[in-house]
Amino acid sequence: MKEITLTIDGQPVRVDGGASVLEAAKALGIEVPSICSHPDLPAYGACRMCVVEIEGVRGFPTACTTPAADGMVVRTESETLRRLRENTLELMMSGHPNACLVCDYRAVCEKHKPTPSKAGTSTRCGLCGNRSECDLREIVLATPGRNLGLPTIYSHKKVERDDPFIERDHNLCILCGLCWRICDKIHGQPAISIVRRGKEARIAASFDRSWVDSGCTFCGACVDICPTGTISDRFAKWHGHPDNKILSTCMLCPEGCSFYEMTENNQVVATRMTGFAAEDRLCALGRFAYPQLLQDRDRINRPLLRESGELIPVSQEEAVDALGAALDGFRDGSFLFLGNDTELRETKHLYRSLATDVLKGKYHFMAAGSGAADLPETIAEKIENGTIRAVLSAGDLLPAELRERLAFLGVIDAFPSALSASADVVLPASILAETTGTFRDAAGTVKGVGPALPAPAHARPEWHWVRDLAQRLGADDWRRYRYAPDVTRTIGDDPAPAPLRTRPRDSVKDALPARFRGHLLADRVPALRAFGLPFTPPEATATEKRGFLIRRKEEIAPNFHSFLVEAPEIARYARPGQFIMVMAAETSERVPFTLTDWDPENGTILFIIEETGRSSRELCALRAGERIAHVSGPLGAPLDLTGANTVALAGGCYGIGAIYPFAKALHKAGKRVFVVLEASSHFLIYFEDELREFCEAIYFTTRDGSMGRRGAVHDVLVELLQSDDKRPDAMAAIGCTLMMQMATEATRPWSDVPLHVALNPIMIDGTGMCGACRVSVGGETSFACVDGPFFDGHEVDWAELASRRGAFVQVEVEAMPQNGTLAAHACRH
Amino acid sequence: MNLFAIRERARAAWAAFALPGHPRILVGAATCGRAAGAMEVKEALAAALGEHGLTDSVPVFEVGCNGLCYAEPLVEVTGRDNRRVLYRNVDARIAARLVESHLVQGEPFMKRALCVVEGNPLEGLPKWAELPMIRPQERIVTRNLGFIDPGEMLHYVNRGGYTGLERALALGPKGTVEEVTRSGLRGRGGAGFPTGLKWGFARKTPTEPKYVICNADEGDPGAFMDRSVLEGDPHAMLEGLLIAGYAVGATVGYIYIRSEYPLAVARLAQAIEDLRAYGLVGENILGSGFAFEIKIKKGAGAFVCGEETALMASIEGHRGMPRAKPPFPAVSGLFAKPTNINNVETLAAVSAILERGADWYTGFGTEKSRGTKTFSLAGQIRRTGLIEVPMGIPLRTIIEDIGGGVDRDKACKAVQTGGPSGGCIPGHLLDLPVDYEHLAEAGSIMGSGGMVVMDEDTCMVKVARYFLSFTEAESCGKCVPCRMGTQHLLRLLDTILAGEAAPGTLEQLRGICETMKCASLCGLGQTAPNPVLTTLRYFEDEYSHYLAGEVRRYRIEAESCEGCRACAIACPTGAITGDRKRPHIIDQEACILCGVCLQSCRYNAVSFVFEEKAAR
Ligand SMILES: Cc1cc2nc3c(=O)[nH]c(=O)nc-3n(C[C@H](O)[C@H](O)[C@H](O)COP(=O)(O)O)c2cc1C
Ligand code: SF4
Ligand code: SF4
Ligand code: SF4
Ligand code: SF4
Ligand code: SF4
Ligand code: FES
Ligand code: FES
Repeated sequence: MKEITLTIDGQPVRVDGGASVLEAAKALGIEVPSICSHPDLPAYGACRMCVVEIEGVRGFPTACTTPAADGMVVRTESETLRRLRENTLELMMSGHPNACLVCDYRAVCEKHKPTPSKAGTSTRCGLCGNRSECDLREIVLATPGRNLGLPTIYSHKKVERDDPFIERDHNLCILCGLCWRICDKIHGQPAISIVRRGKEARIAASFDRSWVDSGCTFCGACVDICPTGTISDRFAKWHGHPDNKILSTCMLCPEGCSFYEMTENNQVVATRMTGFAAEDRLCALGRFAYPQLLQDRDRINRPLLRESGELIPVSQEEAVDALGAALDGFRDGSFLFLGNDTELRETKHLYRSLATDVLKGKYHFMAAGSGAADLPETIAEKIENGTIRAVLSAGDLLPAELRERLAFLGVIDAFPSALSASADVVLPASILAETTGTFRDAAGTVKGVGPALPAPAHARPEWHWVRDLAQRLGADDWRRYRYAPDVTRTIGDDPAPAPLRTRPRDSVKDALPARFRGHLLADRVPALRAFGLPFTPPEATATEKRGFLIRRKEEIAPNFHSFLVEAPEIARYARPGQFIMVMAAETSERVPFTLTDWDPENGTILFIIEETGRSSRELCALRAGERIAHVSGPLGAPLDLTGANTVALAGGCYGIGAIYPFAKALHKAGKRVFVVLEASSHFLIYFEDELREFCEAIYFTTRDGSMGRRGAVHDVLVELLQSDDKRPDAMAAIGCTLMMQMATEATRPWSDVPLHVALNPIMIDGTGMCGACRVSVGGETSFACVDGPFFDGHEVDWAELASRRGAFVQVEVEAMPQNGTLAAHACRH
Repeated sequence: MNLFAIRERARAAWAAFALPGHPRILVGAATCGRAAGAMEVKEALAAALGEHGLTDSVPVFEVGCNGLCYAEPLVEVTGRDNRRVLYRNVDARIAARLVESHLVQGEPFMKRALCVVEGNPLEGLPKWAELPMIRPQERIVTRNLGFIDPGEMLHYVNRGGYTGLERALALGPKGTVEEVTRSGLRGRGGAGFPTGLKWGFARKTPTEPKYVICNADEGDPGAFMDRSVLEGDPHAMLEGLLIAGYAVGATVGYIYIRSEYPLAVARLAQAIEDLRAYGLVGENILGSGFAFEIKIKKGAGAFVCGEETALMASIEGHRGMPRAKPPFPAVSGLFAKPTNINNVETLAAVSAILERGADWYTGFGTEKSRGTKTFSLAGQIRRTGLIEVPMGIPLRTIIEDIGGGVDRDKACKAVQTGGPSGGCIPGHLLDLPVDYEHLAEAGSIMGSGGMVVMDEDTCMVKVARYFLSFTEAESCGKCVPCRMGTQHLLRLLDTILAGEAAPGTLEQLRGICETMKCASLCGLGQTAPNPVLTTLRYFEDEYSHYLAGEVRRYRIEAESCEGCRACAIACPTGAITGDRKRPHIIDQEACILCGVCLQSCRYNAVSFVFEEKAAR
């Protein structure tokens, strides 16, 4: 197109006609703030951050939507523009939970909790899986003198977890429209769009269908482009920013799509399209199932050898030796290799040579997605009539009845199966991203795979096994195959794999290959069942009516669920300050929760659970009328504060509920009670009315100032300590470690007034036996579960406590359930 | 068929309709009339005619709304003497008496007679043109409303219809655009952009095909001018659409109309069918070589779909969401083709302009605002209705003469024009000339023509809140300033009304308004702050009361209260108690501040007063 010249901030610039003012500014190196524009998409004009002034044009046009014109004179900076942008950003952020961005303690808090909490809904960056890679956060933090004075209008939308792989927290959405626009661009017909108007407007599939029914192909483009944590990849969500990316090829089907493997600590946590063009798209398997297959915890990771009827682990050398020795006896044309059509060319090539050149037998590659039942008749017959007597199967590819006819079976595979359990030798295989080499797709194009990532334990790429095996069988020259390229060079013109009849990238219904190496994919990645992929039905287990009945359950603030549970024994003996240990199901973790209230007459207890990780999510997924497997307690030493006359009770997070029993008891005893609450923002305060009943005054502190006072509980505690008429003679603070630690530091000058803090280290048994809850108090080791949970804050070794809490972060991330709302029942093992 | 032959037929049709010496009855049966019971009246008339054996000799026609909405249902009866008498507030019982008195006995039923529309004068009854509500009006767009059968195209033709099209075809596209430019007509959809200029842009864009669109999405709460025109005289707009299509070189015209207007849709569908039958749409119209199709597209009633780019997205089958301009529709509009979009009223004016000439049209209105403007007059005013006035007319003339002054002789506190995008003009500015420039200066806009009169008891903060609650719900949600700004404005107004606003709230309001005005993507967000800004500008003292911790409550003054129980019966929450003939009292806890009590009291005993919040 014709070139044009315009002037931006006094500098002339030549651009193609058709360029936008934003692009022209970029060409000059002038950065105009822009949130809703994207180089791969046409202009949209929703965020209104890129406003500029143009001579002769009324008002403040947006640079992204305004076509550059010859002779145009543009200003990107002025006092008015600065103010408009600041105010627009403030408006935008008022629709997005932003307390962390204005919090005075952000730096120290994020050091304290280096990874975000795995909350149900993200009520601020500290609870947001997107934190380490959030564009929005970056823009806001980079805005000098950011003023987010408007209170957050939190929309209280329920996190949508019903779809496989993708979950949505609409409370974070800034409606930049990138997601539906990229979907539109890639698929021609977007599966999602904005529905409803005004404050109800949100991203959804039309007619509020599930995404599975909307025509969404689960390409993941929207997940990748969303600048906020709104649309997220359930599996990758809590892994943080990947530390590396590898350009590779998906080998789950003969399409052989190119993609990036996004890795963290050398594990694939996600895959990503190489660009945002239609031809770059991936299917649900390549985008979402791939990382989960690799991280499947049920892998074959050691070579196994059958000895006196049992499969026992052996060394790699022993395994190769045994296999070689066995196969040596089948060089008479009775050997068959069964492999997979969609595999590394190197692997296929060496298998072919092994079968024909070395063992003088046959080979057969099974088409993508097929399983044992698809074995060709001709082969089945040959096994049936004894022509074939030995098989090496690279997967679960042989029906059980044929297995019985064989004299020898070797299996080389990644996942266990009935077939491998019946084999004579089993070799652990590296798969997919754990291998490197080349792949020929159905169209004939050769693409690169790898470099390889570490495989579990003793697993090796298949061609490594084959090479060693061939040498064992006398093919000495195979020694030259040291690296993949050594094999690649010898391949020549190998056939392309048979194409799929369906198009997995265009649909998730009846289009995805059902199997990988003969294993049902939906057995390994249960979320795939939502697409109708077949799976092995679980053995029915009788559901029993045992456990503790949940009478009532309510989400009283985002992520805070109150449970009213029948537990007469606990209700009878509970005292303020005590806690219980709860197990959602028989196989769940034991987790401690402070008792908020109890009613000996009705035999019920009340406690509040903050959804913040695997176990709490499992519990919060339970509904009223259902049962909790175990509730044991009351545990811990009760704390009696009634010796004091004036008590200040400070609560934050779950602590708001936890200070309640003290307020109640003190009020009953006729003592003066001052309640100080802390939350990041106004919408996270709960129990206000309940507490008001038992106190003289209630003070609110929020990090964003949305309820008046900006700050933390210690500000109020200090004021109370300094006051003449409200000076407490005892204090208690319950909340996150940082809150209690800060309260401790701030009140140190008044160490004559005890500050009781509830220590919440990781607990396992809660009875003083396991030692997990060790804390150092006053220079001595105590067990929080029996000696505590209350200690005088001024005596606690806070640094040690913080470091111990961080110890299990990685394990916790890996334990996050992958089945959306089925969380409580998703336990796979 | 050529126009000559059509006119022949039209003359015959009109002669049959207005046959001298033959009685007939016209019933105002537009949506407004129907809501007031016109269809029951029509049935009662038919029954009465039947009773008197007049069914065959006295035809009953449905006509559009003549604008005197306060007096609906309206019935016009013509006797054998050719005198046409208009009756007001007719119900089934009155209908029977009209037939008996006027048609059987030949005596006009004076109790409900409003005026003589045509024919010999009647003692004590004004003529139509002398009605105080009609006298200051100039009826151009509404020229046929109430006088023709809107289902009969030939009536329209007989009153000069399609002469404008004929003239346009003779002038050629360029000449037509020039004629419209010369007329000084400005868009009546809200923004007032010069229509001729807009047509010129679309005409000059070389891309083909081109489209014209009639915007009949009329979404302002309380506005019903477009509906009345389409229901009462669809061809006035359709002729304008044909002319526009011809002038810009379009081949298809779309009418985007809200599906809440079923009668208008039916009238349009019928009218388009007639046009086709007479060869006025289709190929080679009137032998000129001009080919044109007209399509109706029904909208789902989102206010924002009245915004032109959102409207076009909606026609294309996408979500009705505005996009940034440029490119302007004249360059890239519907289906990315050059498109000209005009409002119903604009197009109805075009047909008159082409018929009678630009010079005639410039005789109305002011230098910069030519012609006339329709308004739907509503609120606390004696005579509500659909009016059409020359631009530049003093606001006072509209309120006092046409509208007959504020209800119950209260003072006029403010007049709201332009609906949710407009503002409130205070009572002391009643001498303001009503044209684009003066309204804008006063902080309001002409808008599409809503005009709501508010009396001295109106709470202006509540007025602002009402409009904000509308825009908050109707914001499409696309852009940040509008989506979030409306929510915050509404929230802040609520805290003000609750007497809980923090100091600095007014500055906060103004700041948000500025951001919305300057940075919103479309007209909705850019104008949504207007109700807040104008009430702040003229009635800041009311805001100050609230900010000083006062709230407004309804109180009954014991001295004035006669204990008539009217308020107690009217109150929807039963908050008012008291014994008959004893002063009544309002339970402030139960009161929802609806103000019905104040409206219902005949003794002016109820007032709406500021007081300390604590005092209950
Ligand atoms: C939020 C919004 C709503 C609108 N609604 C209408 C409407 O209901 N009817 C209308 O005719 N114009 C409406 N408009 C104005 C149109 O966008 C456009 O200006 C008009 O159709 C142009 O026609 P005109 O030149 O005849 O005025 C609206 C504009 C905005 C910003
Ligand atoms: S999306 Fe970004 S800014 Fe928003 S909470 Fe998450 S990390 Fe923070
Ligand atoms: S979900 Fe993400 S990409 Fe989509 S509109 Fe919201 S913030 Fe933008
Ligand atoms: S995953 Fe792909 S197909 Fe599905 S909504 Fe997102 S972009 Fe569209
Ligand atoms: S279509 Fe899917 S499974 Fe096949 S190669 Fe592409 S991403 Fe992998
Ligand atoms: S100003 Fe309002 S209605 Fe217009 S695009 Fe923005 S959000 Fe939508
Ligand atoms: S980047 Fe221009 S409006 Fe968002
Ligand atoms: S939790 Fe195991 S010792 Fe305390």
